[in-house]
Amino acid sequence: MEAWVFSNIVVAILITAAVGLTGVVLRSRMWSNAFLSLWRRRRVAIIAIGFYVLVALLDSVSWVGGEQFGEDAVAKYQAQSILDRAFAGIRERSYSAPLASVEFYGGAPLVHPGRHLLGTDLLGRDVLHLALKGARVALLIGGLTSLIAIPLALLFGVSAGYFGGRIDDFVFFIMSTLASMPGLLLLITLIMVMGKSTFSVCIALAVTGWVGFCRVSRGETIKLRELEYISAARALGVGEMRIIFRHILPNLAHLVIITFVLMFSGLVLSEAILSWLGIGVDGSWGQMIDQARDELSRDPIVWWNISAAGSALFGLILAVNFVGDALRDVMDPRTLREGE
Amino acid sequence: MLAYVIRRMAYGVIVVLGVLFFLFLLFFTVTSPDDVARKALGERVPEAVVEQWKVNHGYDKPLFPEPGAWTDNMLVEHYRRMLTFDFGRSDADDTPIADRLRAGVGPSLALTVPLFTFSLLASIPLALLVALFRDTYIDRMGVVLCVLAMSVSILLYIIGAQYLIGRLLHWFPISGFDADPRVVVRFLALPLLVGLVAGIGGDVRFYRTVFIEESNTDFVRTARAKGCGEARIMGRHVLRNSLIPILTQVVLAIPFLFTGSLLLESFFGIPGLGAITVDAINGNDFSVLRTMVYIGSLLFVGGQILTDLSYGLVDPRVRLE
Amino acid sequence: MTGGAGVSGTLRGARRPGPAWVVMLVCTLLACTNNPYPDADADKKILYTSFREAPRTLDPAVAYTTSAHAITGAVYETLLEYHYLKRPYTLIPGLAAGLPDTRSDAEGVTVYRFELRPGVLYQEDPSFGLGGAGRTTREVSTADIEFQLMRLADPAVNSPVVEPLSNVLGFRDFGERLRVRREAEPEFATLPAHEQYADVGPIEGVVVDAPLGLAVYVASDYPQILYWFAMPFTTPMPWEAVQYYDGEDGRPRLADHPVGAGPYVLAEYDKQARYVLDVNPNWYGVRHPEWKAPAATYPSEGEPEDLAAGRLDPAYVGRPLPFIERLEARREKEAIPYFNKFLQGYYDAAGVIRESFDKVIHEGGLSDEMARRGISLEKSVEPTVFYIGFNMDDEVIGTVAQEPGRKLRQAMSLVVDTEEYNRLFSNGRGVPAQSPLPPGIFGYDPDYVNPYRLVDLERARGLMKAAGYADGIDPETGKPLTLTFDTPDTSAQGRLRFEFFTHAWRQLGIDVEVAATNYNKFQEKVRNGAYQIFMWGWVADYPDPENFLFLLWSDMARSASGGPNTANFKHPRYDELYLEMKSKPNGEERMVLIREMTDILQRERPWIELNHAEDYALFHDWLSNVKPFGMSFPTVKYRDLDAGARTRQREAWNEPVLWPLYALIIIFVAVTVPGVVTFIRERQ
Repeated sequence: MEAWVFSNIVVAILITAAVGLTGVVLRSRMWSNAFLSLWRRRRVAIIAIGFYVLVALLDSVSWVGGEQFGEDAVAKYQAQSILDRAFAGIRERSYSAPLASVEFYGGAPLVHPGRHLLGTDLLGRDVLHLALKGARVALLIGGLTSLIAIPLALLFGVSAGYFGGRIDDFVFFIMSTLASMPGLLLLITLIMVMGKSTFSVCIALAVTGWVGFCRVSRGETIKLRELEYISAARALGVGEMRIIFRHILPNLAHLVIITFVLMFSGLVLSEAILSWLGIGVDGSWGQMIDQARDELSRDPIVWWNISAAGSALFGLILAVNFVGDALRDVMDPRTLREGE
Repeated sequence: MLAYVIRRMAYGVIVVLGVLFFLFLLFFTVTSPDDVARKALGERVPEAVVEQWKVNHGYDKPLFPEPGAWTDNMLVEHYRRMLTFDFGRSDADDTPIADRLRAGVGPSLALTVPLFTFSLLASIPLALLVALFRDTYIDRMGVVLCVLAMSVSILLYIIGAQYLIGRLLHWFPISGFDADPRVVVRFLALPLLVGLVAGIGGDVRFYRTVFIEESNTDFVRTARAKGCGEARIMGRHVLRNSLIPILTQVVLAIPFLFTGSLLLESFFGIPGLGAITVDAINGNDFSVLRTMVYIGSLLFVGGQILTDLSYGLVDPRVRLE
Repeated sequence: MTGGAGVSGTLRGARRPGPAWVVMLVCTLLACTNNPYPDADADKKILYTSFREAPRTLDPAVAYTTSAHAITGAVYETLLEYHYLKRPYTLIPGLAAGLPDTRSDAEGVTVYRFELRPGVLYQEDPSFGLGGAGRTTREVSTADIEFQLMRLADPAVNSPVVEPLSNVLGFRDFGERLRVRREAEPEFATLPAHEQYADVGPIEGVVVDAPLGLAVYVASDYPQILYWFAMPFTTPMPWEAVQYYDGEDGRPRLADHPVGAGPYVLAEYDKQARYVLDVNPNWYGVRHPEWKAPAATYPSEGEPEDLAAGRLDPAYVGRPLPFIERLEARREKEAIPYFNKFLQGYYDAAGVIRESFDKVIHEGGLSDEMARRGISLEKSVEPTVFYIGFNMDDEVIGTVAQEPGRKLRQAMSLVVDTEEYNRLFSNGRGVPAQSPLPPGIFGYDPDYVNPYRLVDLERARGLMKAAGYADGIDPETGKPLTLTFDTPDTSAQGRLRFEFFTHAWRQLGIDVEVAATNYNKFQEKVRNGAYQIFMWGWVADYPDPENFLFLLWSDMARSASGGPNTANFKHPRYDELYLEMKSKPNGEERMVLIREMTDILQRERPWIELNHAEDYALFHDWLSNVKPFGMSFPTVKYRDLDAGARTRQREAWNEPVLWPLYALIIIFVAVTVPGVVTFIRERQ
């Protein structure tokens, strides 16, 4: 299957899932209250995150075909996203400042004067376009990694906590082993050994990131299984799997959500460091910062590239951090600190 | 007590053995020694030279124990070398890795120890202050500032500081290092400043949570009800009772004194272990990388054991069993 | 908040950390300076330079990089050297008393006979104790050069220059004898190298006919061999050093501890941070200034521009070298801090980094600001060529694809705009290349314009159509033709570069994917022939067209012999012309051959020639006698500097700007004090 078809399907699934989840939240008193109180506390941050998600979706829906894309004769045979189409064919030859009508060096007139809200980069690409495209990459890194790490952590954490004994010993050993290796080094090593790609970056981030949540979910499961109604269910002969799926996992749902949000910013910031080491993900903000860092010593200085990437990154992390904080206060006052 | 210590240490040893096995899988089965040899020697070398190189580095043996080579294989060799701290020579340039570690540990500690001390000295009082003023605008501003500081990528801090302080203001050298005590402070000032600013947001926020939680416990409430001054409560009761989480944080930071300054060292040209690691990454020098991960986890496990044991010292409520 | 009463009493205690912190910072800053060197060194004649990556080895038989030659060239002395100022490059005697006598005998063998200067000593080194207790140095003899040539031939040393030196009679044979002997007798292989060599017997074409005489017999026509005697590969090497520095028992390896007879000794070597070269008191130029040896005195003649640039200053002409007593090189991994330190006066010379180009260079000359600071600029074209190569063994773009493949390569060549490339990636530095030969090398024709190196989109589209890929569509798939560009470069800068090329080819409708893998995987691909397009560069070993044109000789093909012809270009007529051109003296005849060869390359397009690098060397006015050399050749001994002027300038340029600090403190106080005051008032 072509990558763009897959991407479109994923978008469709995500939207359906979002609609479904909204339904669930609306029906459950607890969840809708939690969300309302979150909304009251962090309106701006939630809107900001919504904006990033929207941009990422716009960059994920793509199809083949359409008119000529500037000088590029290949583009019309390849899938272009809505975002790409909005910025198609406005490439310049080299640097231009935000909203300028001439090139930054040399002062030759631009092909599309005044169209570049955030200027253009060394190769004349629109910086706003590049910065917006980074949103998809960042959400992809955070999302895909969590998608690998959280189920893994739940699987190990819950089974260790619920069954105890040998399984618990084994999981605990794996956790201590992974946790005792220096995180960043392990991350780098994994990527170097697996080869550089978006997927291997996410796997490496997941392998280094799942331990913390595994510990929390193990602890929480131990607490839950001692609760009276679960003991009662066991005594009544309810199957183990049924207990786990009906009684334990739903009670971990709030932890999953909080972990996801708290993990997210760390993942995106880690990717920026990986980019600096040359093993990041193509098109990320980290990569833009890395490319732009030498530009600070150009004279006259080229500031719009690094500021665009830097503030896009900062904005997302800030919003996520604020929401994460509030989420923790709203949904869970205590448990998670132990996982840090 | 003694039984606990022994059990704790035995578990530490098992974890280290596990780490070593994981490293073996990563570095020997996923990447082939031939690749490493070619990288080190260049591609135009005859096969015989590659073979000789593999012999010199001990990469010519069978990977796992097999009939005829129960002890003479790379798995056993790997354990033997790592456990006896015989790290051998670098894949990339054949220098003894132990020499490099010795040369790198000084500059690394010169940066990380002051950085660590200053961060503690700055973040604990600040966190106490913020916790003392909790639910006032000082607290709210403090938390917002912390989150702001945490949300900036450390790359931006480094680049910004080099540009502003080094280049425009001429306060300190932009980068570099010299072990000469007459000049070493000049070089460390800028990375210290950056490390401090980059880390302080997270630290203050963490300690604030610790303090606030502790100040909500029953006996603190009792002290407060008895009319104890708030600052006195903070200083006496809360701080003392927060020692466990603080201690955990502190001891667990020890391995990061050693490996944690990957970025600072590289950007500021400090020839420490972090910079050596980054060089190893850029040069595909797996032997150095392997050693670094191993030593990092060794220190971490050691630190953890120390933490567990020292709990008993700071908190009589914890009994070691 | 609960229990808010009675707080005010102890506020002072809690507030202490904030201001204390600032006070501490101020204390540090009052002593602040950005001088990276100890103040005591300010008045010494120390040249400060930098290096990016420490060389992997300093063994002169193996070291082949510019960064290694910066050290080995200064520590090891060679029989011949290049004249510092004369262009085209001219050989002068170094350790040799004069240029070698050359004669050809009847069988086509050429004999070069060198005569060594008497009484030349090695640097002081403990390894000489092996030759007699208490000895710390000894005289250089031609046997040491023979020993080094044997090391080059030794397969275990793995020297990169075996290929060209195999023109010496019996060179490969010696290596083969050694290999066979070692395999037969494992005991033998453990002996010290010089004993093994003595046992196996000499290289047929290397004859030590007197303690200071050396004759080299060269089998084929290879006049370029003399250039190798101006490179550290053929330096005299004491056997004592090879035996002693084996890396055992705490002794360093020869690769990290050079022992030579050159003008400098390596006094300190920390690969991570810095190295230091000190003047060698045993150097023949220092011990015997009265010899007025050509390579140990400042030259009296040069090019006209040298006179204008003050490089023939009477104050220097004829004076014994060296002038600079010490060279300190610091490691600088990042370009920006390095260049800023140069601007602050902490490095004496620098290249121009791309990012600061506009600040430094203004319309081809220095900007006003730089000129005011007394900085000078020297430009020179380096004997290099950078190119994009096609793998000619590939089925789509290679020779196998015949005419369509050729047309495809021609079309792709026609859309790569080198001028634009230079403008974007090197600020217009670099000469757009028309053929492999750079300016300054015989065979370079300034009037030659390669018709396939002009930018012509229409013509390229026409060629695409003729090749059967109209609008870039591959008739087999109905989609744009897809090619792969392989590179080991995963850096951010590299990505921008490749994006430039792929964008150009996308105009033709060709979809070129960049496969940036790590170095191992890249090498593996090259070994397996699984690559289509690559980018490469070549820096000349010596100033002769042969050293460029051999890069496309079929004997050097990567697929056949693992040689540097990575394009796997195999063209019988080209080979024929190459072999004929190789040994011809520079002249009209040679020019004709070269022209035909460039015509073949122009048509066949195994390469898209990009540019010949241009070196812009910047240096401060306290540094004198700077001339960019292009080739890897150490020039430190010719340079001089005025330490007093340097100190004065540094102080003037690096006044710390402290007002932002005071502003910061005021803002801090202004923000916190009212807050705290309000708080206290509320509580009371």
